[in-house]
Amino acid sequence: MLSGLLPEGQVLEGFRTEEWAICDRVPEAVAFPESDEQVAAVLRMAEVQGWTCVPVGKGTWLDGGQPPSRIDVVVSLTRMDRVVEYEPGDLNITAEAGTGLDLLAKRTKPHGQWLALDPPGLQRGSLGATVATGSAGSLQAAFGGPRDHILGATLVRPDGTILRLGGKVVKNVAGFDLLKLVTGSWGTLGVITSLTVRLHPLPAVDRAVLFNSAGDAPLADLALMLAQLSIPIAALDLLVPGEAERAGSGATPLVVVRLAGSRAEVEESQKLVEGTAPDRPERVLEGQDAARLFHNVQAVEQGAELVLRIRMLPSRLTRMLGLAEEVRAIVETHRGFGMRIAAYVQTGVLRVIVSRLARGEDWLEEGAALIASLRRKAEEDGGSLTISRGPSQLMQLVGAWGSMDSGRVLVQGLKRAFDEHAMLSPGRLETV
Amino acid sequence: MGDDGVITDDARLLVYESDGLTAYRHRPLAVVLPRDTEETARVVRRVGLEEIPIVPRGAGTGLSGGALAHRPSIVLGTARMNRILDLDPVNRLAWLQPGVVNADLSRAAAPFGLQYAPDPSSQSACTLGGNVAENSGGPHCLKYGVTSRYVTGLTIVTYRGDVVRLGGATREQGAYDLVGLFVGSEGCFGIATEIEVRLVPIPEGVRTLLAIFDEIEAAGEAVTQIIGSGLLPAALEIVDGETIRAVESSAFAAGYPVDAGAALVVEFDGIEVGLDEQVAAAVALCDDAGAREVRTAQTEEARAALWQGRKKAFGAMGRIAPDLVVQDATVPRTRLPEVLARIREIGERYELTVANVFHAGDGNLHPNLLFDRRDSDQLARVEKASREIMQVCVDAGGTITGEHGVGLDKRSYMHMVHTSVELEAMRRVKSVFDPDDRMNPGKVLPDDLEPPSGENSGRDGSPELQGDVG
Repeated sequence: MLSGLLPEGQVLEGFRTEEWAICDRVPEAVAFPESDEQVAAVLRMAEVQGWTCVPVGKGTWLDGGQPPSRIDVVVSLTRMDRVVEYEPGDLNITAEAGTGLDLLAKRTKPHGQWLALDPPGLQRGSLGATVATGSAGSLQAAFGGPRDHILGATLVRPDGTILRLGGKVVKNVAGFDLLKLVTGSWGTLGVITSLTVRLHPLPAVDRAVLFNSAGDAPLADLALMLAQLSIPIAALDLLVPGEAERAGSGATPLVVVRLAGSRAEVEESQKLVEGTAPDRPERVLEGQDAARLFHNVQAVEQGAELVLRIRMLPSRLTRMLGLAEEVRAIVETHRGFGMRIAAYVQTGVLRVIVSRLARGEDWLEEGAALIASLRRKAEEDGGSLTISRGPSQLMQLVGAWGSMDSGRVLVQGLKRAFDEHAMLSPGRLETV
Repeated sequence: MGDDGVITDDARLLVYESDGLTAYRHRPLAVVLPRDTEETARVVRRVGLEEIPIVPRGAGTGLSGGALAHRPSIVLGTARMNRILDLDPVNRLAWLQPGVVNADLSRAAAPFGLQYAPDPSSQSACTLGGNVAENSGGPHCLKYGVTSRYVTGLTIVTYRGDVVRLGGATREQGAYDLVGLFVGSEGCFGIATEIEVRLVPIPEGVRTLLAIFDEIEAAGEAVTQIIGSGLLPAALEIVDGETIRAVESSAFAAGYPVDAGAALVVEFDGIEVGLDEQVAAAVALCDDAGAREVRTAQTEEARAALWQGRKKAFGAMGRIAPDLVVQDATVPRTRLPEVLARIREIGERYELTVANVFHAGDGNLHPNLLFDRRDSDQLARVEKASREIMQVCVDAGGTITGEHGVGLDKRSYMHMVHTSVELEAMRRVKSVFDPDDRMNPGKVLPDDLEPPSGENSGRDGSPELQGDVG
């Protein structure tokens, strides 16, 4: 269906498109454009033909999020993975949207810089997908999420017009900030083809201080105490291993404090952190060892069957842990690692990561009812519960997103303003 | 509303004729001062029946004419919505009304060891509502970021008088970032009546140094070197020789040498340990860039003195010329030295006094043109020079406003940085929030979205003509 539009080798049709199924939905074709113009050509053709398109990055996260209601063409940015411009003195880098985060790190590291963004997923996941899904990780409290890192973006709209939003400077208020719409838009407004992101100087010392305890509750208290310190903490995570890990290697729950800065700053901060904790740290990791730990925290969702994301005020950590415990009722504890918990303490985000769901006769209905009930409880507490990934039958019953009580009209209006015929990623977000 | 909530007499309306940009003056039909969200909604609905536009206004310290009633309209002032509704030190969040003064929020948070980070120069007068509208910056945004990083939720009143809640620190909804979109919308999308913001810990220690240079380009080079070295100062501010002389001949004299080409204020904050090390590194880099003298402060008083020349710059300039155009362009940091040289050349060519005071670490320039508007020839030269300076900044990869907003004043520059396709996209987004164009109409977007003939940014929205990114 796309032959003639793109050169041979840039289109996948037939049975091989199964590799690019999104949440079990197999597309008719996959396009691999290499330029803004090719993206525009594909979208224009789709608009004329009435095809729905779903933009994706490198395809490392295809089973995540709310399933699109229909897919004809997947537009993959895999081949748009070039660094366009990098001037280290300006502390920013411009790269095509399909550029892997690992590749960016490789380019910036020799200049003593990094993109301080650690979204869940694999290191080779793309910059574009990170921004489109608004994914942030442990570093969010200290450095901000994708919205705070992007300075500029190129967005190709369904009608083929190309918008250059923002720019290459850190302060820019020249007109309405359409750049903000790009973050977390899940491919519903346009295809992001390039991004300019701000970089930070790499810290001289990057250290992880680990505290353990047999129980979750004392660790939650410790985490909350540490969150009150007025020192700069790069990340503060609470990690609870799965049943299998506890039984097998004797893994215990951990509080991990990441300290980054000059040696003097880190040493001093570590003293304060240790002074706050009742016990000595179980371990202190530095450099590559610390980085490996956080890569594992990032990759923890990979291969999991269900990932829930509960968000409340950070002080409600214990309440969130309580809600998480209820999930155990639907976990197949003997397969995979069981059920893990990973919380970003300072932002009040707690992830429940389930290897395999128990599949009794009514597992689907039971799972949906449980999640709906947890979501209601979270919302009653002023929070929210979303599903980062889950079996598509389950997602259909309960939906990835919570209720949107306010602003629905604005969201739908913005969708129409960018994608009049609703041809981009329909159903990916709650209201559009 | 009660009698004290509506202003209609000419004498009292005088105050609302202009904002911080005094070049334009327009008297509003009336001013209303609601006390809360409900009253605001009622006012908007009532005024809507008459189809009269509404111009939201905070403290009126804006510098782009954004709060101006340049068409017959009602000004909706937030002066009486000045309560801090709640402050949660544990979760480091605050909820407040839009009329709360920026510095008052930090003052209220201080007993808990917290502060509100964005600190515009007008922070003792400007309001959080105005900060939200303008996405305001300030000297310490170099390290901490601008307003949009700190606003986590909003309650807004729409053009129809509907109350809509956007975002919130604990809400993940699978929707667009409406809070981020609203911040910086300059009163064109509605009125923010409640604001949720993040607070940050007050840093344990602060160190300030002042480096004096013979040439401003050398000061720019020092900035480039400091940023490139991996240091992360809280502030990096440049005051040029012209400004130094204005300050030193005023009541605000700060003791900066009057024969200097520029002074660079460098500030570090954070935990006490390690600050001196950072200062030493910055001093060495300033020396390398050719600093004539570097001063450090040992006491809080001495530290304030080092800042004095920067903080009093605008006040002092008002005393040496009757009129002042405050420009506000941002350029990539590495282009600072060459852009500063070009600005100097433009000033000389038009025989105008250009005084530069700016957030150098962010590349956010404020070239100020001093003049007397009664001299029509000088006024014409100011307008030409302003446009040329903007073009230089845009050509260097920069933009036409870093923190003051477009307002009424910079609309004609919008074509320099946006194609008509992008402006049209902005117009559509405006229509989503305000289809009848009743909220602060005629601001931000130029009347004609197509560039005037003979003038073009050299960019075009059609894909066939696209060149390299950026």
